[in-house]
Amino acid sequence: MLVAPGQKVRSRVAWRGMNSLVGAALFVTPLLMLVGIWAIVVPLFNVNPRIFPSVGSVAEAAVAAIGDGSLIRHIGASMLRVGLGTLLGVLVAVPLGIAMGVSPAVSAFLTPLFRFFSVLAGIAWIPIATLWFGYGFGAIIFVIFNAVFFVVAYNTLLGVSTIPMTIRNAAASLGAGRWALLTEVLLPGALPNIVTGVRTGLGFAWRGLIAAEMIATNVGLGYMLFVARDFYRTEVIVLGMIVIGVLWLFIDRLLLVPLERATIERWGLVRRT
Amino acid sequence: MKTLSLKNLRKTYFDPYAGSQVTAVQDVSLDVEQGEFVSVVGPSGCGKTTILNMIAGFIPYTGGEILIDGNLVKGPGPDRGVVFQSFALFPWKTVLENVGFGPKMRGVPKDERDRTAREYLALAGLSHAADRYPNELSGGMQQRVGVVRALANNPAVLLMDEPFASVDAQTRMTLQEELTRIWQERKPTVIFITHDVAEAVFLANRVVVLSKGRVLDQIKVDLPRPRVWDQLIEDETFKRLSAQVLQMVRAA
Ligand SMILES: Nc1ncnc2c1ncn2[C@@H]1O[C@H](COP(=O)(O)OP(=O)(O)OP(=O)(O)O)[C@@H](O)[C@H]1O
Ligand SMILES: [Mg+2]
Repeated sequence: MLVAPGQKVRSRVAWRGMNSLVGAALFVTPLLMLVGIWAIVVPLFNVNPRIFPSVGSVAEAAVAAIGDGSLIRHIGASMLRVGLGTLLGVLVAVPLGIAMGVSPAVSAFLTPLFRFFSVLAGIAWIPIATLWFGYGFGAIIFVIFNAVFFVVAYNTLLGVSTIPMTIRNAAASLGAGRWALLTEVLLPGALPNIVTGVRTGLGFAWRGLIAAEMIATNVGLGYMLFVARDFYRTEVIVLGMIVIGVLWLFIDRLLLVPLERATIERWGLVRRT
Repeated sequence: MKTLSLKNLRKTYFDPYAGSQVTAVQDVSLDVEQGEFVSVVGPSGCGKTTILNMIAGFIPYTGGEILIDGNLVKGPGPDRGVVFQSFALFPWKTVLENVGFGPKMRGVPKDERDRTAREYLALAGLSHAADRYPNELSGGMQQRVGVVRALANNPAVLLMDEPFASVDAQTRMTLQEELTRIWQERKPTVIFITHDVAEAVFLANRVVVLSKGRVLDQIKVDLPRPRVWDQLIEDETFKRLSAQVLQMVRAA
């Protein structure tokens, strides 16, 4: 009796491990196929490297960019901005979202506003951000903050307002005061929505970041693309695009998706929605 | 000693469609002694849930008074434990943490409240499920957790609104027997709301029949304890009392 449940769990973990390996393989296969087609088509039609680079030249560009440290510098700058902007966005959005979600009237009133701004999140704010903050760090952080803030606040609000009233009543009748209600009920209850919000918001933020870096700075992945264009360096442009896509896949698959799954699956909250 | 006292309790709701006040509870007065088990029955819409929610402090009352150990009720509080029909367990807490929640709110240190919680889980035959999450339990098990979570806080009154309505008939009988056993062991003061006349008689020392927001009648239930269905189902007194309550409810 004591051994059996443990074994079951272990075999389930092993099964999960196998599953995620298979899943990863299935995920990577189409991407590799795309590279394969690219490797065949470019030499076959003798494509001008000013129009589109060959696989080999992009690989060389990658080796060079890694070698002289410029790639790491661009990635570092971009990640720092996205990290900082997201952190700020979440720190402001979650308390605000909870405060608003507590009152049904306030949340009903604000929902359309937040939906509206969620759609606008990111790129559309770049022009006005550069007017407010000038070209540089401030404008980029603002764009990221903005992308994350509205989506996370909206999702937090949604999360809080979907916590059943009976659960709040249960906490109150067990002696929970305002603070305990916040930390023990509202925050954990809204957490799956908050994580979903962060995931969506980061998606906007990532696009917004690249766009903002093209016009507002002199380091970062967006800047790397933009400068390469001036010199017809298509292999650097494509390298940058690949790095941007792959980085996002890593952030999303290795950080956000597991986080989302952990909160939602563990608590069986899928059934509620 | 009176633990719970309702004096001329009254509740009206504003109906936005009709643009007028609807009376859910007309005028209810009721005294409940410490350690008494009172069942409340009555037809749908007679105000049972409204009364319970007012005692729990979840909704304000329009008139009258609710006193717990002589103190006026002004909102929810740990002196009144509530067991919900929908269980209302915290999905993000383990069973042990759910049961230890009340003591935690009172500032009981972790070791001690875990011990208390385990003790109550044992009382409900749930020791093996301490580290599971509510969604991993059957409905019957979840409601056992709901009951001991409320009990573990040592409330002056335990309020239960059709707590067994959403579990299957078999489980319900087991839960009813367990509740009478637990009640005998701990002697909490209980207000138990139900549609089910047999359930009301089986559990209670006294059955209160409501009708249209008033107390229609009350019946003492002097059946011996421990009560088990195998015996009571054939018992003449049980049958007579049940029939009597059923008649009142139908006339209500
Ligand atoms: N929030 C509310 N707003 C308006 N009217 C309400 C509200 N809650 C209850 N009522 C009305 O008050 C009356 C009593 O309702 P209550 O829920 O207390 O009945 P009940 O005895 O618990 O019924 P049931 O057995 O169906 O659970 C009903 O007529 C109901 O329509
Ligand atoms: Mg009811």
